[in-house]
Amino acid sequence: MRYTAPAPVAAPVLQVEKLVKRYRDVVALDGVSLQIGAGEIFALLGPNGAGKTTLIGAVCGLVKKTSGRIHLFGTDLDVDALGPRFQVGLVPQEVNFDPFFTVTESLRIQLGYYGRLPDEARIAEVLEALDLTAKANAQTRALSGGMKRRLLIAKALVHRPKLVFLDEPTAGVDVELRRDLWTYVRQLRAQGTTVVLTTHYLEEAEELADRVGIINEGRLLLVEDKRALLQRMGKKRLVVSFERPVARLPEAFTGGSVLSEDGKGLVYTERPGHPRAAEVLHALYASGLPVQEVETRASKLEDVLIEVLHGREVAP
Amino acid sequence: MNGLGLRTLLSKEVRRFLRVPGQTVLSPLISTSLYFVVFGVSLGGRMEQVTGQPYLPFIVPGLVFLGMANNAFLNSSSSLFIMKIQGTVVDLLVAPLGAGEILLGFVGGAMVRGLIVGLLTWGVALLFTPLQLVHPGATLAFLVGTAYVFSVLGLIAAVWAEKFEQINFFPTFVMLPLTFLGGVFYSVKQLPEPWHTVSLFNPMVYMVEGLRYGMLGSSVFPPLLGGALLAALALLATLVTYALLARGYKLKQ
Ligand SMILES: Nc1ncnc2c1ncn2[C@@H]1O[C@H](COP(=O)(O)OP(=O)(O)O)[C@@H](O)[C@H]1O
Ligand SMILES: [Mg+2]
Repeated sequence: MRYTAPAPVAAPVLQVEKLVKRYRDVVALDGVSLQIGAGEIFALLGPNGAGKTTLIGAVCGLVKKTSGRIHLFGTDLDVDALGPRFQVGLVPQEVNFDPFFTVTESLRIQLGYYGRLPDEARIAEVLEALDLTAKANAQTRALSGGMKRRLLIAKALVHRPKLVFLDEPTAGVDVELRRDLWTYVRQLRAQGTTVVLTTHYLEEAEELADRVGIINEGRLLLVEDKRALLQRMGKKRLVVSFERPVARLPEAFTGGSVLSEDGKGLVYTERPGHPRAAEVLHALYASGLPVQEVETRASKLEDVLIEVLHGREVAP
Repeated sequence: MNGLGLRTLLSKEVRRFLRVPGQTVLSPLISTSLYFVVFGVSLGGRMEQVTGQPYLPFIVPGLVFLGMANNAFLNSSSSLFIMKIQGTVVDLLVAPLGAGEILLGFVGGAMVRGLIVGLLTWGVALLFTPLQLVHPGATLAFLVGTAYVFSVLGLIAAVWAEKFEQINFFPTFVMLPLTFLGGVFYSVKQLPEPWHTVSLFNPMVYMVEGLRYGMLGSSVFPPLLGGALLAALALLATLVTYALLARGYKLKQ
């Protein structure tokens, strides 16, 4: 399968060119090039060990790249590694907390690191948004796992970064936090913040992302607008059940239709060059088959991801 | 330079050890005070017969040095090491803080703790013996210089260490022997050969003697020798630490 090269992004906030990161015997990033535009939500998808955290780490100053170039807000990180980072926030994959300080103190410290004076109004706002107000004066070590993750997110956002990285922000959290976070991410975008997120929950990417990138074994396999991708690679599927067994399908349905063994069901998968699902449905009714129920299923990001990853495996 | 970032890190470092004062200030104060009681008060009379000079005042500079050096080292080493273990070092590395800010932040915090313990030790000494401060300028220079050097060394240890065992390596196997053989409790002048010559290779000897010069007015070596050594050590340790932090040695992947 061939993929079109991603279109260049207007006013890129982040520009990564031929980024390579090699550990002793592992190539974690194998020439990744990527542009992230201002104000978009970009989801980086890929299996464990694909290189997502390494890519984020290289941009945020946690990973020393082997080669390649990174421009943040137009500044080459080889020239100025620190300046652009005033505008960046990171929610790391691993939860961390400073056991010596309270929730509010941690946020004050975070503001200071980013060159901001203590701003109690801003701290209160972030605490409220992440439902941490009741824990404002709690010691961080006394927080539950979910609360610690909320604090981690609050820390990444308190200095109003223009670009936020969320590395698996909802791994192992409850439904409530996931929902809160989705709301908050949408709010961030509404304010013009650029968000790059990695996630295991494809539902999350499907909900939030404007564009998705699929990475595997350190290589970016695909970068595309989410809707366009689903339209291009997504398949519509028609699932029909019959009132009584059907022995044989009329001629019109042979391509792409599969009759179940007991003859009581039919699955039609839409493919390029074949009739569209709607036409097939029309023909079904016209043919007088004993249709009981019809269900259509659009494919999800998950199907696309599996296909892309699988396609790569079988490609020469 | 991220001035506010540096100030934040520095104040965070100071507040961190003040959160657990029993452990970071009181406990070292008690152990150095015990040295006064044991060596100074109970054995002091005998020692005076040997040295021919009052013993309690003699050990004050050495004990101040001991408390200060140990606590400066312990503060920077344990603080950064805990951050590495807890994962909070990520916050520092991601933030727009350069090697200079990180170095000064940790070292500043550690110096404050070292100086607090050193000065409180001196305060305890005043319960046993009158205040002696012949050269205030030299005393201040040796206090600050010593606190700085050991704070930076602590930072190097924290960068390097990956296990708890390793973080204790330097204090146990290097600092403890060198301080006890560093002329805190005796004058190197009194040592027979070859120990006298061996002692001359121990940098702590010159720091203790420098402080002794500042407080008591006289010392075995000229104070400038100790001062020069301290300055050279400070410069070397600073360059090494700055280079390690700038490269992200054992901090960045
Ligand atoms: N510090 C490290 N040392 C050696 N290999 C590493 C290190 N960090 C990550 N890797 C390897 O690099 C690859 C990419 O890892 P990572 O970026 O964490 O993947 P992801 O976040 O997509 O799960 C994996 O094969 C991982 O084992
Ligand atoms: Mg990861």
